[in-house]
Amino acid sequence: MSRAAVVTAVAALIAATACTEDVTAPGHCPDFCPSGSISGVDTVLQTVVQRDSAFRGFVRPHDANALLAAFLPGAIDSRAIFRTSPIGDSLVVESGTTTMGEIVGVDSLKLAVTITRRDTSAHNLTLVYYHLPLDLDSTKTFADLAGAWTDSLRSLNVDSVYALAGHVDPLRGDSVFVDATTQYVTVIAKLDSAMAPFVPADSGKVAFGVRVVAESRASIALGSVESGIGPRLTWYAEVDSVGKDTVPRLASTSDTFDGFVFDLLSPSVDTTLDSTLAVGGMPVARSILRFVLPRAIRDSVQISRATLVLVTARPPEGVPADSFTLSAHGVLADFSAKSPLSPDASRVATTRVHIGIARGDTVRIEMADILRSWQIDTLAPTTLALRQVPEGTEFPEIRFEPSTNTSLGPALHVTYVRRFPFGKR
Amino acid sequence: MTRAVGTALLAAVLLTAGPPHRLTAQDSQFSVRGLGVPGRWESVRARTTGGAFGPFDPRSSVADVSLADALQLTATAVEATTYRRAEIGGSRDDLRSSRFPFMSLAGPLSPRFVVGGGFATYLDRTYSIVTRDSQMVRGAYAPYTDRIASDGAVADLRFAAAARLGRWLAIGAGAHVLSGSSRQTAQRIYDDTTFLGTTQTAVVRYDGLGISGSVALDPVPAVRIVGYARTDNRLRTRLGGTETDRTDLPTTLGAALRWSPSPSARVAGTVVRRSWSDAGGFNTTSWSAGAEVGAGPSPFRFGVRGGQLPFGPGTAAPTELGVTLGAGKGFSGNRALVDLGLERLVRKGGGLTETAWTVLVGLTIRP
Repeated sequence: MSRAAVVTAVAALIAATACTEDVTAPGHCPDFCPSGSISGVDTVLQTVVQRDSAFRGFVRPHDANALLAAFLPGAIDSRAIFRTSPIGDSLVVESGTTTMGEIVGVDSLKLAVTITRRDTSAHNLTLVYYHLPLDLDSTKTFADLAGAWTDSLRSLNVDSVYALAGHVDPLRGDSVFVDATTQYVTVIAKLDSAMAPFVPADSGKVAFGVRVVAESRASIALGSVESGIGPRLTWYAEVDSVGKDTVPRLASTSDTFDGFVFDLLSPSVDTTLDSTLAVGGMPVARSILRFVLPRAIRDSVQISRATLVLVTARPPEGVPADSFTLSAHGVLADFSAKSPLSPDASRVATTRVHIGIARGDTVRIEMADILRSWQIDTLAPTTLALRQVPEGTEFPEIRFEPSTNTSLGPALHVTYVRRFPFGKR
Repeated sequence: MTRAVGTALLAAVLLTAGPPHRLTAQDSQFSVRGLGVPGRWESVRARTTGGAFGPFDPRSSVADVSLADALQLTATAVEATTYRRAEIGGSRDDLRSSRFPFMSLAGPLSPRFVVGGGFATYLDRTYSIVTRDSQMVRGAYAPYTDRIASDGAVADLRFAAAARLGRWLAIGAGAHVLSGSSRQTAQRIYDDTTFLGTTQTAVVRYDGLGISGSVALDPVPAVRIVGYARTDNRLRTRLGGTETDRTDLPTTLGAALRWSPSPSARVAGTVVRRSWSDAGGFNTTSWSAGAEVGAGPSPFRFGVRGGQLPFGPGTAAPTELGVTLGAGKGFSGNRALVDLGLERLVRKGGGLTETAWTVLVGLTIRP
C-alpha cells in the first residue's frame, strides 16, 4: 500500500470516527441562555363544559354481560333469572349408535353458575334457587315474578362447600371450584327430580331464579350467556333402551335467555334522570359532556396534564366489590345519546370509583391524551361520554353535578406549556 | 482531460447541491445569545496559519481577489472536529462536535480571469442548553428539566470572480447569498411522570444578501498587500411563511500583508474590523499572524489569532485567542492535497471561559 493511500485512509478514518457530537450543556442563565424560555401554565377551566346531559337505557338486564344478584337492605334486591335450552324428549341409548330412547325419568340435575365478582368480606355467601315459569323474557319485572319467589328449591352455602375437602359436599352432591387465573367461582348445585322434573311437553326446558344472601350485604355477578359463561344445566336422565330396560344418560344444556330483575328499595337509587350527570346503574346510564376549549388550548399549547374534575352529586350504593371503572370516552360524532364511541384507545380515559365516596367528593379523570388527540384532529367532536366500564355488570350508579351548577359543575384542571417563541433573538 | 472534466462536474454537483446540514463552523456557548458565532471562511491551509493567509489563499473565501491565483480547477472541503470545554461559576462541561464548515470550487476562465464559489459558515447557531427549575402546580412544586436547543447555521453561498489586471494588481468581487436554517427544540420534562413531557420543534429559516470586493497589490515580488470589504444587508428570520425577526448585518473591512522572503518561507498578517453593532452586538477587531515554511508538497504552517466575538453578556465583547499549526501533503503531482491542522482556542467573556481543541482535515482536488 502506498504512503498516499495510508495517509488518505487515516484522514478518512479520522473524519468518519469524529462524527459524534455532544453539544448539551447546563444553562447559566440569563447570560448564556436563549432569550426565550418555556412558559408553563397551571389553571382550572371551570366553564369548559358548557352543555351536558344524561341518558339511560344503554344496556338492559337481558343483554348485560353479568347477571346481577344482590341484597342490599334498604337499597336494592336483585335476582338472576334464566331459562335453559330444551334437550328433547329422547337421548341416544348407546354411545356410538344412533338409536334413540325416550326419556322416561330423571335421576338428578346439576346446575352450574359462575360467580365473576363477589365481595370477599361477605361471609356465608349463599345462593338460593327458585323454580320460575318458562315464559321469562326481557319484559319481566321483579313484581311480575313475585309469586315465584315464595318457595325456594334449595339453597347452597358457597363458603361452607368451599371449606370442605376437595370443595365437594359428598352428601348433597354440591361442589365449588375457583379458577386460579380469573378467580371466578363456579358453583355446582345438585337438584333432584322433584326440584326440576322432566316435563316431556317442555322438552326439558326449565327456568330458574337465583337469589343471594350473606351475613352482611351481598352483591355478586354471575356469568351470562353474553359473556360466554352463562348457567349450565346437566340432566342425569333415564332412557328407555328400546324395550329392554332403562339406562342412565346425561345431557348438558346452557341457557337461552338470562337476565335479572330487581327491586329498588330506596328512593335514593331512583333511576329517574334529573339534571345531574348519571353514570352506570340499571338500566345503564351515560352522560354526555360537551367541551368548549379556549382556542389557545385547542391550537397552540402543549398539554402536560389535564384532569377532568367531577363533583359527586349522589354517591353510588353497594358493597366494596361493586366499585367500578368510570370511563370518559371520546365519541366519533356527537349524536347526543346515540353518539358512537371512538375505537381509538387514546380517546379513552378511566378512573376507579370506589363505593364509599360521599356527596361532594371529587372524582378525577386524567385525560391529557384525549385533549392531545383533539389538538391533532381538529375535526373531532370535543364531546365525551361518561360511562361505566364494562356497562351492565355493576348496580351502583353515580351522579355528578352538572355544568348548570357553575361552582361545582365539571371542570378541567389543565397544565400546559405555551408555544415557544421560536425565531426570536 | 476526461478525468478532469468528471472531477470538476462531481465537485460542482457537490458544491451546488445545497449546503449540508452540518455546515457550521464551530459551536460555542457564545452562540446562545445574539445571532451566533461568526464562521471562518478559510481552508485548512489558511486556518492553520491563524487565518493570516486567508486573504491570499485561493482556496479560502476571505477575499475574492485571491481567486486570481487559482490557475487550475480546484475543489476544497474542510472537516473540523472540536472538543470544547466550557467553564463558568465552578462548573465544567466537556462538549464535542464535528462539522463540515467550508467547501469551495474555483477555476480559470482565462489566464487572467478566474471564477469560483462555494459554501462557508456565516453564523453558527448550534447549541443545547439544559436548565433545572420547578413550578407551582396543583398546590406543590413540580421540578422539571428544560432543554432549549438549536441545530443549524446560516450559510454563505458565494459566487465570485477575480481578474489579474497586471503583474502587480488584481481585483476581485463576489456576491453572497445567505441562507440557512436551524432546527429549534424546546422541551420540558417534569420529574413527576404523571405530567407528560412536552417537546416543541420548529425549523427557523434565515436569508440575506451581501456583496464583497477586494484588491491585491504586489509592490515588489516578495510582498503582497490585500484590502477587502464586504457588506451584507440584513438577516431575515422566518418561521413558516412568517417573518419573525430582521437584523442588520455588519460591514467587514480587512487588510492583509504577506511577505515571501524565499520560495520556501512565507509570513503574513491580517486585521479585520466588523461592525456587529449593526446587529445589536459588539463591533469586533480581529487579527492574525502566521507563516508557512517549506516549498513543494509538504509545507508546515503555524499561526496565532486574536480578537473579539460579537455577542456575549455584559458591556464588553468576549475575547478570543488561538494558536494553530498544521501541515500539508501533496499526492499525484499535487493534484490531491491533504491538509491537517490543530487549533487551540480560548474564549472568554461574561465569566465564561471556553477552551477548544479542533482537529482540521482538508482535502483539495486539482484534476
